[in-house]
Amino acid sequence: MRSRGLRALAVSAAALLVAAVAACGSDEPAGPGASGTAGVDDGAQLTLWTRAATESVSKAYADAYNATHKNKVTVTSYPNEEYPAKLASAAGAKALPDLFGADVVFAAQYASQGLWTDVTERLAASGLKDKVSPGHLNAGTWEGKNYAVPHTVDMSVMLYNKDLYTKAGLDPEKGPTSLKEFAEHARKIDKLGGDVNGTYFGGNCGGCVEFTFWPSVWGAGGDVLDAKGETAKVDSKEMADVFALYRALYDEGVAAPASKDEAGPTWLGALQSGKIGIAPGPSVWLGLIEEKGVKMGVAPISGPDGGDSTFIGGDAIGIGATSTKAAQAWDFLLWTMSEEAQVEVVAKGKGVPIRTDLASNKYSSADPRIVLINSLVAKGRTPYAKNFNASFNDPQSPWLQTVRGALFGDAAKSLSDGNTAITKSLQQG
Amino acid sequence: MSTLTPPRSGPARPLPAPRDAGPAPRRIQRSAARGRALLGALYALPTAVMVGLFFLVPLVLVGWMSLHRWPLLGAPTMNAPANYTRIGDNELVSSAVWFTVKYTVLMTVLLFAVAFGLALLVQQRRRGVGFFRTAFLLPMAVGFASASLLFLGLLSDEIGPVSDLLRALGVIDGYVSWTSGSSGTALASAIVLVLWRFAGFNMLILLTGLQAIPLEVYEAARIDGASRWQTFRRVTLPLMRPTIALVLTMMITGSLLAFDQFWILTRGGPDNSTTSLVMVIYREAFIRLDLGSAAAISVALLAVLVVFNVIQLGVLRRRS
Amino acid sequence: MTRSSAMSRWSYYVTGTALAILFLSPLLWSGWASLRTGTGFGLENYDRLFTSDNGIRPHHVLNSLTVSALTVGGTLLVATLGGYAFGRFRFPGRDVLFLLTLAILMVPYATILIALYVLLGWIGLQDSLVGLSLVLIMFQLPFSIFMMRNSFEAVPRELEESAQVDGCSSVSTLTRIMLPAVRPGLVTVGLFAFLTSWSEFFAPLILLNSTDTFTTTLAVVNMRTASHGSIDYAALEAGVVFMAVPCLLLFAFMQRSYVRGFTSGALKG
Repeated sequence: MRSRGLRALAVSAAALLVAAVAACGSDEPAGPGASGTAGVDDGAQLTLWTRAATESVSKAYADAYNATHKNKVTVTSYPNEEYPAKLASAAGAKALPDLFGADVVFAAQYASQGLWTDVTERLAASGLKDKVSPGHLNAGTWEGKNYAVPHTVDMSVMLYNKDLYTKAGLDPEKGPTSLKEFAEHARKIDKLGGDVNGTYFGGNCGGCVEFTFWPSVWGAGGDVLDAKGETAKVDSKEMADVFALYRALYDEGVAAPASKDEAGPTWLGALQSGKIGIAPGPSVWLGLIEEKGVKMGVAPISGPDGGDSTFIGGDAIGIGATSTKAAQAWDFLLWTMSEEAQVEVVAKGKGVPIRTDLASNKYSSADPRIVLINSLVAKGRTPYAKNFNASFNDPQSPWLQTVRGALFGDAAKSLSDGNTAITKSLQQG
Repeated sequence: MSTLTPPRSGPARPLPAPRDAGPAPRRIQRSAARGRALLGALYALPTAVMVGLFFLVPLVLVGWMSLHRWPLLGAPTMNAPANYTRIGDNELVSSAVWFTVKYTVLMTVLLFAVAFGLALLVQQRRRGVGFFRTAFLLPMAVGFASASLLFLGLLSDEIGPVSDLLRALGVIDGYVSWTSGSSGTALASAIVLVLWRFAGFNMLILLTGLQAIPLEVYEAARIDGASRWQTFRRVTLPLMRPTIALVLTMMITGSLLAFDQFWILTRGGPDNSTTSLVMVIYREAFIRLDLGSAAAISVALLAVLVVFNVIQLGVLRRRS
Repeated sequence: MTRSSAMSRWSYYVTGTALAILFLSPLLWSGWASLRTGTGFGLENYDRLFTSDNGIRPHHVLNSLTVSALTVGGTLLVATLGGYAFGRFRFPGRDVLFLLTLAILMVPYATILIALYVLLGWIGLQDSLVGLSLVLIMFQLPFSIFMMRNSFEAVPRELEESAQVDGCSSVSTLTRIMLPAVRPGLVTVGLFAFLTSWSEFFAPLILLNSTDTFTTTLAVVNMRTASHGSIDYAALEAGVVFMAVPCLLLFAFMQRSYVRGFTSGALKG
């Protein structure tokens, strides 16, 4: 079914391409057709959809691309919460945009539903396959075919407040090297009293917890999911230890009381207030927090007894399956993965390049914290599961129920019941 | 989004009581009657087109979807009745059904009590009554999505005054999250929002009912020496029955389809304690991307509502 | 004046005032919060509302106005004709059509929107303000038709008959004689159609695809998740106020009309 649809698509894309070229009265010879693997830059109007959270990066890519290319990319962003609904209804009506990004953990689901065009051959021909973030590539893979490429990278790291470290008698240049040390630091800072709290986490937000807690499980050598994303392993000892550590911090009042109800929206605000000692969070927040005049240090997230890891998040992007401009859309994608775009757009904007070979570049070396963040890409992971959103990120997911139980209820029972419920959800058709 | 518009939500589920509205039985020539019927049908044509095209066609499509495994792209495959039988296995559905019923009962009782109280308060023409009516009605002017966002801010610890106020009064101590702290406060947040937004509208409908009771009836009751309470029980309530039935039906239908208030305020939490049925439909369709399953739950919910309203209609007709 | 009636008057004013304060305070608070800034009071939040990346642009407002105008106009047209038909005529299928119209209220929004999206694609109205307006008109119909049917029924039959005796055609009877008689109902229907279409969020989100066609509500809700999932509450409240002001003004000024509309309309079950 898919291959037939694809062929129809390629044919119609080619037809449209010819029409477009003819219409523009271009003198250039028609480039490689849509069935080819190269990109085409012939003045096509391309639509790109993204969620609000990563819109600024997509816009920066588009602006830079539009300035130097004939194709023109228009970015439209949607509220994060409603973005999946938007994509689903557009797909249902066969009216997907030419390009759309998605949270990298949702990529497998969209790939399995065939919402993106197969780019396996194009990617292989580009010579970039081994140079871009492998986690993102894997996430956009379904049954051995590539449907999406990396778009933005966001990683989880420990962010700590240097001023509070100094006040608490800790060395502001030395972050914790293990999760236990993190807890010690948090407790020391919490003793400063007043409205200062040791740490903060999103205790009512499945996405926040997986993003910040899982690296500790990985760092300790544990696992959360099998490679196929069909069986959960949240009842492991490593997972229980990590939860127990955060639970103790909450019970002792070291974690801010708001941590229990934090569903995501006020997470950044809490860190920007400058009243939190140390907390795991997205690396892209570094700049956003410092904007508010809070001096921050960065450390890797580690297992209880050490072992660094990180959750490599961000967005993957692919060509809408119903798009008739696949070759032109691919031209844009190729360009976003180029050294030019990764260095002059992403790295310059203090982002993490999606290219592993460009982790150290002329902009990153200016800030040792960025070097540290970039170096973590190699140690990090991106979980893969077709039903990731329904099982882990959605507010009604079994994972969030498990998290709530493990942190605020009957921990052992929640983890073992949760493991069954999550596995069931992962395997659901 | 069931409660987004005044008519769709708590309010207008107007109870149909189709009556003969044609010319009073009179000796009219048959052809004239037919001509008039044709004319009437012609006037009803735009309605028929709108309802047919934008309601019936999508509705049939939803029904058709519910019989299939319906991928977003690609060909659907018939799997009836799997989408329906699977509803029973969905644990979230059963908890959502309970919550939705609980919410509907609570909401209907409270909203009715408040709206009726307000209507009684402002039924007589007195000084200042215009101001009071406007004050109670003004929340209607805020769209329901906007109203939910307004309450999100109002109840937030960051800028909202509610927590500060209660702390100052000594009612609460320390940090409280109203919308996600506990199932009780989350539900209460949603209820207060709906009360605030819809009490005025329902007051207005009840008010029109109250004002339609002829003054002579009250006068007669007074002469008979009935107390205020007796007058209310024996005169006002019975005469208000059609209006009350109308308002109650609208409230119940609106509550059973509740979505916005939970979607924006509580996100169904904490711990799925405020996950309504329509939120489950949303999850099936847009998170799990299982359109067939979402369609099946919708059809089931629709069937319940239709049965419920038909019963209500029957009861109403028998009484009046 | 007896003591007890003085007492009841006193308690009436106290209760009424207390409740009025309770009902008005969220509105007043949002106005206040939207003006409060880090240092005092000012229009900073509104500035952010209009200038930030996801903020409101003039074309959003224009789109909202277009959708509202189309929805109000369309609803009035369909509901007037339909209400007249249901209120004054007998024709085959009348009751079925009326019940079907009311059944629109019973369908969960979430599912039917996908079907509507598909449908709009079929008739070439995807991503168009006209398509969105048609959907919004459909959702307005149960309330509007019900209201207009009752309004027409309340018009004395003699009025219509005398016009026909005078030789007016059916259409001119409707426009010259009936319409002025049902004006309060029209005002009510139009007002609610405006309110819904102006502040509707979910339908435009699903049915519109490009920033050019976005409405103001979408921009305001976008503020909710703008910068990396953190809420800019103050700008959000500014957005709420911006959305609410036109509706509040209309509501306050037209109160008399729509209360009359209700008395002649919704009252009868």
